[in-house]
Amino acid sequence: MDELELLKKDWGKQDSTYKQLSTNDIYPMLQKKSSSIVKTLFYISIGELVFWILINTIPYFSSDSYREKLDAVYSNDTILVGLTIISYAVILLFIYLLFKSHKAISVTDNAKKLMESILKTRRVIKYYVIYNLVMAFVSMVVGLYFSIIHNPKLSETISHFNQKQLMMTYAIMIGCVAVFVVIIWLFYKLLYGLLLKRLNRNYKELKKLEV
Amino acid sequence: MDKELEHSFVELLEQHQNIIHKVCRLYTNNYDAHNDLFQEITIQLWKAYPKFRGDSKFSTWMYRVGLNTAITLYRKSKRTINTQDFDGVEFKMKAEDYDDTEEQQLKTLYKAVHELNDIEKALVFLYLEDKDYREISETMGISEVNARVKMNRIKTKLKTILNP
Repeated sequence: MDELELLKKDWGKQDSTYKQLSTNDIYPMLQKKSSSIVKTLFYISIGELVFWILINTIPYFSSDSYREKLDAVYSNDTILVGLTIISYAVILLFIYLLFKSHKAISVTDNAKKLMESILKTRRVIKYYVIYNLVMAFVSMVVGLYFSIIHNPKLSETISHFNQKQLMMTYAIMIGCVAVFVVIIWLFYKLLYGLLLKRLNRNYKELKKLEV
Repeated sequence: MDKELEHSFVELLEQHQNIIHKVCRLYTNNYDAHNDLFQEITIQLWKAYPKFRGDSKFSTWMYRVGLNTAITLYRKSKRTINTQDFDGVEFKMKAEDYDDTEEQQLKTLYKAVHELNDIEKALVFLYLEDKDYREISETMGISEVNARVKMNRIKTKLKTILNP
């Protein structure tokens, strides 16, 4: 006899072996909190949004002199104001996309569609992280450049550099910022890699069936 | 209204609880893990219940939510033993372990099914529950042809495990 047929024959007889729960056992279960990956993913995405918004706004509120400087710059620089408006519009766009993709996750979809919806949400978070890392990289490089230019001592030292030394200085500067950004990126890769390891493996297995 | 909804849900769940037990049996290997997964499937069913319109049978709906929770949503709690670590590890029987008696064969078969990966287990589960290939393909999101092909491969895999 086929192995699975033998198993099927026995499988049907197993019902009486399970410990039967009464309605009184089931009611308290409904009050418990879920620990599904979707819930964890939701909390992480909220964390991402809050974290990057705080990173951008804390310096503004924590130092009076910094705020005054920024206010002065902003009142004279329409490009900077425009960029700030765009960056907040991007955050709003990500909030909308995250909300939409989270709403699309349904446990009653078929297995493949459910996995795809979760992976789509993860992609939105990934793009948000990439966007922030690119912005962080650009603003740190530009920030460092301007702080050197506006620091009399440093600009005096640099003015004595030859072409090669100057290139080296900029390369080290960009290299340090790049390493910092890559470390943060690797942290995210690890975090999502661990959380979605099983899902990715199962999704690949389902995709393999289509080849 | 909510109380009524809760009451009808609990009654239905009590009647069909063996579906969840069977999913847990395939995807866990100890008592704590079984209870943990049972709990998570119950929560997912309850969360989805207000949208259950009754256009499919409650049991059919349970199969889908139960398997989706086990394969995709469930994050093992720290206290449960990770059965998935054995995935992909070639499971071979020693010749002396093999016994022709049906009981021994069944024991070995259950052990072999436990060594299958998550997707293979889902297909086997639906097969054991006497679901046809149309329902298997709809639950998993694959074509009927691919479901058949995969089931044949699983049968071959089980044969190899049992007759190394």
